[in-house]
Amino acid sequence: MISHRMNRTGKMLKLVAGLCFLGLYLVSCGNRSDGDNDELVYWSSNEANEIEFARRLVMEWNAEHHDEKIKFQPIPEGQSSEEIILAAVVGKTTPDIYANMWQGDVEFFAKSGVLIPFDTLDGFMDFIYSRCDSALVDEITSNDGHIYQIPWKINPIMMIYNRKAIEEVGGIPRTYSEYFEASKKYQKDNNGDGYVDQWFGYSDVRPIWHELRFHFYLLYLAASDGAPLVKANKAVFNNEYALEVFEFFSELYAHNYFSRERLSAGQDPFMTGKIATKFTGPWEIAHLNKFKPDDLEYAYAPVPVPDDHQGPVYTYGDPKNIVIFNTCKRPALAWKFLKSMISEENDLLFLKLSNQLPARKDLTSNPKFTEVFAQNSKLAPFAEQANYIRGVDNDEVIKEIFDIIIQEYQASVLYGVKSHEDALSDAERAVNVLFLNR
Amino acid sequence: MRRNKLLPYFLVSPYLIHFLVFVAFPVGFSLYLTFNTWNIISPMEFVGFGNFIRVSQDGLFFKAIFNTIKFLVVHIPLQIIVALFLAETLNQKIKFRPFFRGAFFLPVVVSGVVVSMLWQQLYGFDTGILNRLMSSVGLPKVGWLTNPDVAMYSIAIMATWKNVGLYVILFLVGLQTVPPQYYEAADLEGASHWQKFRHITLPMINPTIFMVLILSTIGGFSLFIEPYIMTGGGPLNSTLSAVLYIYKQAFTNYHMGYSATLGFFFAFIILMVVFIQKRFVERGDQ
Repeated sequence: MISHRMNRTGKMLKLVAGLCFLGLYLVSCGNRSDGDNDELVYWSSNEANEIEFARRLVMEWNAEHHDEKIKFQPIPEGQSSEEIILAAVVGKTTPDIYANMWQGDVEFFAKSGVLIPFDTLDGFMDFIYSRCDSALVDEITSNDGHIYQIPWKINPIMMIYNRKAIEEVGGIPRTYSEYFEASKKYQKDNNGDGYVDQWFGYSDVRPIWHELRFHFYLLYLAASDGAPLVKANKAVFNNEYALEVFEFFSELYAHNYFSRERLSAGQDPFMTGKIATKFTGPWEIAHLNKFKPDDLEYAYAPVPVPDDHQGPVYTYGDPKNIVIFNTCKRPALAWKFLKSMISEENDLLFLKLSNQLPARKDLTSNPKFTEVFAQNSKLAPFAEQANYIRGVDNDEVIKEIFDIIIQEYQASVLYGVKSHEDALSDAERAVNVLFLNR
Repeated sequence: MRRNKLLPYFLVSPYLIHFLVFVAFPVGFSLYLTFNTWNIISPMEFVGFGNFIRVSQDGLFFKAIFNTIKFLVVHIPLQIIVALFLAETLNQKIKFRPFFRGAFFLPVVVSGVVVSMLWQQLYGFDTGILNRLMSSVGLPKVGWLTNPDVAMYSIAIMATWKNVGLYVILFLVGLQTVPPQYYEAADLEGASHWQKFRHITLPMINPTIFMVLILSTIGGFSLFIEPYIMTGGGPLNSTLSAVLYIYKQAFTNYHMGYSATLGFFFAFIILMVVFIQKRFVERGDQ
């Protein structure tokens, strides 16, 4: 009797174990089955408008290319898209095409040998020079001479301002002096407790590398006409422009024209009138149109520059680009699809759907695009600005470089524990040590 | 017969598999990583003791450890005192006792991210409620999260508020195990409330105090969410905890080998601290 019961238990356990292994096998083979057929896999970002763009694009492509089908999916949810891509690279489950990689990340993946160089694909070089100016082509060229990315979209960072507030302080501040003057006029203690409740601007004060793009780096590009931070494995940012930017922000914090507090943790300070300006991109338009109070009117202008600055004002373009992973079995087909994806027609569709700018040099000269900007006055300044943008230097340790600079920025600009000159020299030394040690 | 021998192993296999996959393998792999540099996607490169030498020269890591100790110095005593006081109060016959017991436990089950964001608003220099209250009674504002000398202590207070409910429950359990006849005998001797607490309650709940001490020490050493959300480690790295630094090395800079080395070094420090605490508390018990 006991032996019979044991037999039954054993059979049950075998069945459970068998089912578990079958389940694990099926789960682990989920991605492999995608690669077995000839479909290319394309990941877009998971922003709603981009998903819609990708959906339409792939639907049209597949209708016309029965033997060259593309399978589209938004990048899986995660803390950041970069983490997802890393996990996919490690698990060898990368898509063939990924559109939305931050330009600063491309070199890291390229150095690790997981990207296909576009310049090895037929007709790429002619195409890239027809789409981008030579400065941008230089910017995206890797240190090994190859090009691993196609510039796809940009979101130039500009100064958004509250129209009413700007009228009150005497107009849009174009230079540092004008910005200080306007800040002084706008600063206010609303409740009479002796403390400021209203500042002219705001930037995130946390020492997190990516925040640097929206204060120091942005104004450094503007002051220096788009100078690099590093060149030929050497720090080149310890210069008059960086010093001017440090001095500018230092002055703002010293006079409490900018708050040292993290205002963005609560209600949007721009919408509530606590601040009159901030440095941001075109994504703010959709957000404001949805949530802003009726009486808030806003517009965009170039970021402030040193008083003696001449010529156009450069800015950070926050570029997101397209890459092909080396797991792609048909790079030629991927390239064929991408040419269609960033054709004039599809760039136009992307612009209309997402309010994000395609990274192409004819944005302000091609009537098809200028017509869109004429109809969308909020977006028009970004198109003008798109002629004067920079991304980031092509270096696999660019985040560490940003991290080094932001630590020194905080020590010098926000807390004044060292001089600006010392801070910049220390940052320069640390970056050079970083290059030496790799 | 053979099947009978295998069955027990099969029955414990879920735990064994879990242990191998989620404990033994990560620890073994991390140990292996300490002798390599690795950025996740490129091949590993053997560097011998290079990572260990780098740890010994990394001033920022030692600053992060110092910050963590600063946090612990405030957080642990505060946690024990507040939890003990609340547990003692909630052990009395007071009105709405179940409600208060539940209320004090509530922050424990709320996400650390949510709590951090709420406290960030309370701590705001210009707009926070705390500073507004202080201004309204004529006191100067405090840079709770913006003053490098204050920020870590602010986080310690917040972490105490968040976690104290758990330790209240542990102390309540401890208090309820104290035999009531001890108190009755003390009453007959005319002992005051404080005397009873000092000479009966405290010695009797010493094992609970030790457990709370160990748990809050380990919990305190793993400080991460609060500075990650509230300050990003600033101002001037004053709230950069050791775990936050290890995280940044691993997931911002992709120095996996180095961060594994930092992790082992830090785990060794925690082990030493817990060992010393154990010796100290046990000696006190004798």
